[in-house]
Amino acid sequence: MFRFAGYVLKSLWRHRGRTMLTASGSAVALFVFCFVGAVQQGLEQLTKNRQSERTLIVFQENRFCPASSKLPEDYARVVGKLPGVKDVVPIKVFTNNCRASLDVIVFNGMPPDKLRSARELTLLSGSWGEFDGRTDAALVGQAVAQRRNLKAGQKFTIGEVTVSVVGTFRSAVPAEENFIYTHLDFLQRAKGKNAVGTITQLEVLLTDAANPDELASTIDAEFRNGPVATTTRTKGVFQTDTLADLAELIGFAHWLGYACVGLVLALVATTTVMAVQDRIQEHAILQTIGLRPGRIFRLVVAESVLQSMAGGLLGIGAGMLLLAWGGFAVGAEGVTIAFRPSLQLAIIGAMVSAVVGILAGIAPGWQAARTEIVQALRQA
Amino acid sequence: MALIEIRNLTKQFRKGEETITPLREVDLDIERGDFVSLMGASGSGKSTLLNALAGIDKPTGGRIIVNGVDITRLSRGKLADWRAANIGYIFQMHNLIPVLSAYENVELPLLLLPFSAAERRKRVELALDAVDLRDRADHYPRQLSGGQEQRVGIARAIVANPTIIVGDEPTGDLDASTTEQILDLVERLNTELGMTLLLVTHDPKVAAIAGRQLRLEQGKLLEKGREVAIVTADLEERSA
Repeated sequence: MFRFAGYVLKSLWRHRGRTMLTASGSAVALFVFCFVGAVQQGLEQLTKNRQSERTLIVFQENRFCPASSKLPEDYARVVGKLPGVKDVVPIKVFTNNCRASLDVIVFNGMPPDKLRSARELTLLSGSWGEFDGRTDAALVGQAVAQRRNLKAGQKFTIGEVTVSVVGTFRSAVPAEENFIYTHLDFLQRAKGKNAVGTITQLEVLLTDAANPDELASTIDAEFRNGPVATTTRTKGVFQTDTLADLAELIGFAHWLGYACVGLVLALVATTTVMAVQDRIQEHAILQTIGLRPGRIFRLVVAESVLQSMAGGLLGIGAGMLLLAWGGFAVGAEGVTIAFRPSLQLAIIGAMVSAVVGILAGIAPGWQAARTEIVQALRQA
Repeated sequence: MALIEIRNLTKQFRKGEETITPLREVDLDIERGDFVSLMGASGSGKSTLLNALAGIDKPTGGRIIVNGVDITRLSRGKLADWRAANIGYIFQMHNLIPVLSAYENVELPLLLLPFSAAERRKRVELALDAVDLRDRADHYPRQLSGGQEQRVGIARAIVANPTIIVGDEPTGDLDASTTEQILDLVERLNTELGMTLLLVTHDPKVAAIAGRQLRLEQGKLLEKGREVAIVTADLEERSA
């Protein structure tokens, strides 16, 4: 088969305009496919990881936007005493936009020691010492830093909150990279946000033995008659509920990914059919020389796969680069979904390209292989 | 035993309501090293006979036995393998692959056979030398004249040293001077290399260079004005 690689490549090059247009179409489709895939993966990573299942979020009852949830900070002490609770992290959330947005900025104010223990952050610039030493210090997730071009040493203002960027970080959870972490008391005292003693939510870390659902019920029962009633859910459920509308849209968007695959299939198949019809006589000559029908079939399928994969790999590569450098995220009500590139996504994309190429080549390959030699030669 | 034994070869096809029989129970023996020309009016069946012998057209009935192999019984795949090893086909319209250079066109049949790259190179160079086109090896068909294209086609037909070389009007598309060059070349293939040739032509001058001149008339094969007669005594056992 490889002995005919030169023939296959030259045949594609002969109609390079057509080949390139087809490859471009395949590239655009696979680019979209990867982008949609990245959004889906981001949502899955956010809602289905272990941390999401072993962590509870205590939020004010019947509240959705972080701006409207105001829990007494003292609740942390009460929850911390419950059996099955490993640690409690009080969090003040401030966001510039509660609605769905592609450039949402979310501040999470946390006690510095809790930030270090509860989050798996790797500092890319700056130091924990600088963060501890300044009350207005902020550690910026690399996705936000890329998007907003933020660097250590800069001041950054959103609404009434101005922070000093002391470092940037990478996180094991991609969505975290869309957050800006500050000191809890700073965010509570920020100009116009004087909310000392109140927090947005409690993040409750559970022991391995704890039952999340039972503990959530216990917490809500504890505060049912308190100053502020609560709704407690696992972090995964909390994020799914918060992003319910977006999740529905993302679920719909995955059909867009399939539509792109269908588009490539139709495009590559059309081009390959045209290429075969242009070369009926050529395939007859090859058969006369002694190429088996099966080999002719494989040559046509190889052409189809090459076109599909050349464009597909280009689209996947462009998609991965853009996802890596763009720091894209969509967020709503303080929860964000990060669109990150992944090897898994690249492999799936490449496999989809290959399978589409094979499928697109089957019918034209069959047509070429079944060419009646004498009839085709008479077409000269 | 002849190299090629054709027995009761019949070919029929339908054209609308009409059934056409270009070959009707044709018998023919061709010995190794024979140079046979086949003439006949348009539609007489000469190309049909040639194509059946080359294994690119299936007869309706009868047998073609080449070197003891009944090719009418081979599957499409096996027939392709047989063609790769046994047939060199010279087309009327040159029929080179346009995206491949002269060298690559000549090399094509060798890619199907178990030759090393070095052996392929040696054979292609010899074939191009034989048609005096070594210096055009890197040229593409569009960069060659009609005569040069046909010589590349001949080089491609002989490169694998096939059992039989068949040509369907190989000079039909060429001017008089180029025709002469090609005929000279074809004649040398037979006299110097001892190749077995069957040429279909409508040109008596072309037919005249062949050692045996056959004519197809009304589905019957004539040699020197008489129908070709074959003794078929032991054929049944040999082809079984």
